[in-house]
Amino acid sequence: MNSLIIAQMAVSGALMGLVYALIAYGFQLTFATSKSINFGQGELVMLSAFFSLTLLNLGAPYWLMIPGGLLFGVVMGLVVERACVRLTLEQKSEGWILLTIIFGLLGFSAAENIWGRDDRPFPSPISSDALHILGINVTPVEISVAIGVFAVMGVIELFKRKTLLGKAFEAVSADRDAAELMGISATHTIMLSYGLSGMVAAMAGILISPITTVGPTMASALILKAFSVAVVAGLDSGFGVVVIGILIGVLESLTSYYLGSGWRETPGLLLLILALAIRPNGVFGKVSIRKV
Amino acid sequence: MLQVENLRAGYGASEVLVGASLHVKQGMIVALIGANGAGKTTTMRAISGMIKPTQGTVLLNGKAVQGMSASQIARLGLAHAPEGRKVFGPLSVEDNLLLGAYHRLPGFLGFHAMAAPDLEKIYNLFPRLRERRLQAAGTLSGGEQQMLAIGRALMADPKVILLDEPSMGLAPVIVQEVFGILRRLKEQGITLLLVEQFAKSALEVADYAYVMDHGRIAVEGTPAELHRNEKVIAAYLG
Amino acid sequence: MLKRLIFLRGAEVIAFVLLGLIPLWVSNSYALGLLTLLAIYGILLIGLDVTVGYLGQVNLAQAAFLGLGAYAAGVCVTLFGFGIFSALAVSMLIGLTLGALLAFPALRLEGPQFALATLSFSALSTTVLNEWEGLTGGAQGLSLNRPAFFGHAVDAPGFYWLCLILLAVVWMAMRNLLSSQWGRAFEALRDSPIATDAMGVGTYRHKVAGFAFGSSLGGLAGGLYAFNFQYLQPQSFTYDLMVILLLGVVLGGRKSLWGAFFGASLIVLLPNLLSNRLLFEIVAALGLLLALVVGLRSWLSKHQLQFQAVAPIIAMGMLVIGGFMVENTENWRKAIFALMLFSVVVGLPDGIMGFVARYLTQLFRIAPPALPQASTLDSVLPAKASDGAILLELQNLKRYFGGVKAVDDVSMQVHSGAVHGLIGPNGSGKSTAVNVISGLYAPTEGKVLLHGKLLPSGSLFKVARAGVSRTFQNLQLFGELSALDNVMLALKDAYRVPLPLVLLGLAKSEEICAQSDALALLQLVGLEKQARVHAKDLTYGSQRFLEIARALARKPELLILDEPAAGLAHPDVSVLVAIIKSIKQRGTTIILIEHHMDVVSELCDTVTVVDGGKIIAAGTPEEVKRDLKVIKAYLGVADEAPLQA
Repeated sequence: MNSLIIAQMAVSGALMGLVYALIAYGFQLTFATSKSINFGQGELVMLSAFFSLTLLNLGAPYWLMIPGGLLFGVVMGLVVERACVRLTLEQKSEGWILLTIIFGLLGFSAAENIWGRDDRPFPSPISSDALHILGINVTPVEISVAIGVFAVMGVIELFKRKTLLGKAFEAVSADRDAAELMGISATHTIMLSYGLSGMVAAMAGILISPITTVGPTMASALILKAFSVAVVAGLDSGFGVVVIGILIGVLESLTSYYLGSGWRETPGLLLLILALAIRPNGVFGKVSIRKV
Repeated sequence: MLQVENLRAGYGASEVLVGASLHVKQGMIVALIGANGAGKTTTMRAISGMIKPTQGTVLLNGKAVQGMSASQIARLGLAHAPEGRKVFGPLSVEDNLLLGAYHRLPGFLGFHAMAAPDLEKIYNLFPRLRERRLQAAGTLSGGEQQMLAIGRALMADPKVILLDEPSMGLAPVIVQEVFGILRRLKEQGITLLLVEQFAKSALEVADYAYVMDHGRIAVEGTPAELHRNEKVIAAYLG
Repeated sequence: MLKRLIFLRGAEVIAFVLLGLIPLWVSNSYALGLLTLLAIYGILLIGLDVTVGYLGQVNLAQAAFLGLGAYAAGVCVTLFGFGIFSALAVSMLIGLTLGALLAFPALRLEGPQFALATLSFSALSTTVLNEWEGLTGGAQGLSLNRPAFFGHAVDAPGFYWLCLILLAVVWMAMRNLLSSQWGRAFEALRDSPIATDAMGVGTYRHKVAGFAFGSSLGGLAGGLYAFNFQYLQPQSFTYDLMVILLLGVVLGGRKSLWGAFFGASLIVLLPNLLSNRLLFEIVAALGLLLALVVGLRSWLSKHQLQFQAVAPIIAMGMLVIGGFMVENTENWRKAIFALMLFSVVVGLPDGIMGFVARYLTQLFRIAPPALPQASTLDSVLPAKASDGAILLELQNLKRYFGGVKAVDDVSMQVHSGAVHGLIGPNGSGKSTAVNVISGLYAPTEGKVLLHGKLLPSGSLFKVARAGVSRTFQNLQLFGELSALDNVMLALKDAYRVPLPLVLLGLAKSEEICAQSDALALLQLVGLEKQARVHAKDLTYGSQRFLEIARALARKPELLILDEPAAGLAHPDVSVLVAIIKSIKQRGTTIILIEHHMDVVSELCDTVTVVDGGKIIAAGTPEEVKRDLKVIKAYLGVADEAPLQA
């Protein structure tokens, strides 16, 4: 009996972990090209979810809502790049940390006032009646989350590996100056990465909303764990985030079962600080070479 | 093809280039030699847009390009194989070559087929790159990386190539090989501006040469003329 | 000197006296409450400024340290019946300890990872405060009474004075810290962490200490906060407060005590600003006006629309228009903070204080204090008799980067007292070799021995401490520091006063000694006239010489000069040769990487030639010049039989 409960907790934790992994993947996309990340990514997840919900409420069909929501994410990602990141990268400063935090705050306040502070349900055409698989309850909605996460990450990875544009993306990550000499515009590539990152955030919002409901604070806990996943896995390692995401998802679900739900954030946060202490570049990260 | 007039550039407070002028005509190999710190590499970086010149003009095929970004200049037909080779370490050799032709290939699909004939040409020129086409470029030896860097520049089908210190850090045998390749490329009629600290080797392949000193052109002439110039011989040709 | 004292200290004294006198005239308890908060936030922001300003890192944990300090004081008072000072001491200690614990792992990385770690720490501490109900009362909150002060109940003015005195103490301690070696180290490690390590001043330990110090001020402010409100809730110390604190530091002006003070005033006044509609509209309109003026000026001078100029106009415009559109500005307070903060960060990155300071320094030119007499060079850099024994030995040293063998099996010996030249074509591996010796890179294989003992590998700091000092091919000066400070930072064994005494201002005499010694070294390289000039404003040649003086301040057994003549004009090269000769006369062993063969011939006793990562020749300069292999390596392949492709 007990082992069955643990297995149940582990499975649902792992599914949540995939969402953390997806958001963390969004950090990696922008970090690869520009060594910067959007600290307001959580607000991007939340705003995209609200936007998608509004589309549904306006009568848009489900199949139209998804591209609409993703497009919104892309646009927001581009706005963040233009308003908060580009200038500070030109100045070679780390001002983008502060500016993206500020942008997140603005987004949060806007959502609070436009859509209200209450949590709202997010309708989904997929059933949330549990299926019993080997004695474990899994809902189709949860399965759709897993499929969605892998689909988005798969498509982007395919793009990076199989198209010339994707290879250019990798080239900018490897050596920005040399990429410029090939005629690849680093500025455009960074814009592309922020657009993709915004899209990934929107996807995460759309996937998670049917499970968690939509509200201004829906992403504040999510994003902390996505940060943990990104740092523990390393900001430059492709699928490391999936492994670490699942690990942290399982750990937190077990923690909240044994210690109470108030403690569920702790394993991720502790792992993050621990990872920084032991492997500052992440478990799957590369060690960088200092130059003089 | 490439005309540089009175170019000034530097890094922060220190001005390295104080008015350099040089011309590269179609189908010629032009060497730029001079002591270390004379400003050869800075000249190249200022031409290709890696640093912004503070003054002067750069005409590429008659079009003023100074002040443009490096990627814009590259799209106009200038390929710069930079000092230190700068291959994309994590990417495969073939991907490196494909990216060399980035601006003239379709972005999504079909680029491979379109680039195949050019790839074939490069592989024929550098058989060792064919052997290692799927290997990550960062794991190649120094000489192979230099060949890759040259191959990548050729892939752009450029109007002018800037080649910065191809011999840097290579064993003498490999340097010979690199210069052998430059000779073959010369027969095929490429237009090349070559920076090289091995002045003698550079003068052997070059049609014309400039000698730089303290950020400006001190002497210029055909290799034969330079060989007759005693000052140049004393300073650079030992 | 007197003028300087009056201007700089006078303003501080007047401000504190005025603040201290206010309760005697004003009995309004609301105003007194605001002033008390001002003092508390002042302490908090001075602490935050250590990381955000001086260390240049985005620190998102200061709100958490405020909370932890507050709870520590609260728990001490309610559960253990501590007095007011012992409770405050515990608050400070908690801040210090937890700050150090967080800093050890977090400060190993820069930028985003550090910000993330501090963010996680904040979330973690909120969780603990919420969940550890037995100690903190959880979400219910914790009520406490302000403890008595030696049997006297502390009333509101009394508590205000306590806070004000503590602010003054913190202010003085901070100023003493900043005018000591610590302040120089903070400045240096932002300019060039690599050079800071290479000068034997541990980047990492200074960062950790700085962060822990800032956190302890957070804890102290927390203790005062607890006694001020006498009721604590975990929600008070979350992310929102953190953003407001950052707003305070950035808007007030980073790296400035006055900036922290202005920032604190702003934080205290913000809630009033939002509750009064008219006031808000005036401020918003003023903000827009300022942004427009600044924007217009930049457009007139540069003739192009720059993001720095346009973005604040848009943000302030949104604030003005939004002010008319929304009903209740209180509900939008986060958005309002965000827009204000955005405008400041983009348009006024130095904050109010940076802006004001620029004009003040133009108005009042205050001469810096006079410099002491320079020490004699003999006392700073005593001449050593060299015994010619082996000082440095490389055994089969290898360093690979991917497939590139930058250093491939190099063995060589450097004799004590000699100038040992290391030459070779570009990219031959000379620089990599000295980078391995000086600890920037760990060797892939092989050993580096100094005096027959293994040198630490892969740590610039440890190698520097072991007696190896170096200059850099691409200059790594501390541009924001004066020439004198550059040398003073590196001075070996000059700073022995422990930190607590430094805070009390008892390091002045050793500071003056260090100035004299540094001046002697500046004299050696002919820069004593430019002692007060910022390193970044020196001419290129002088910068090269300053790096040598700085490296000598380590009083090294082995001095590595990495292409010191690169980019130097001819007259400067002869000065350089003279400098190196005089260093050699004092018995310091030198490794000289150089391209100018005439310089090498003139200075070097022994020369090692490398090419392709391997040693191809060694001997006296004359022998090496005649070596066929060397000629070939330097002149390329053309000397060989004509080659056919």
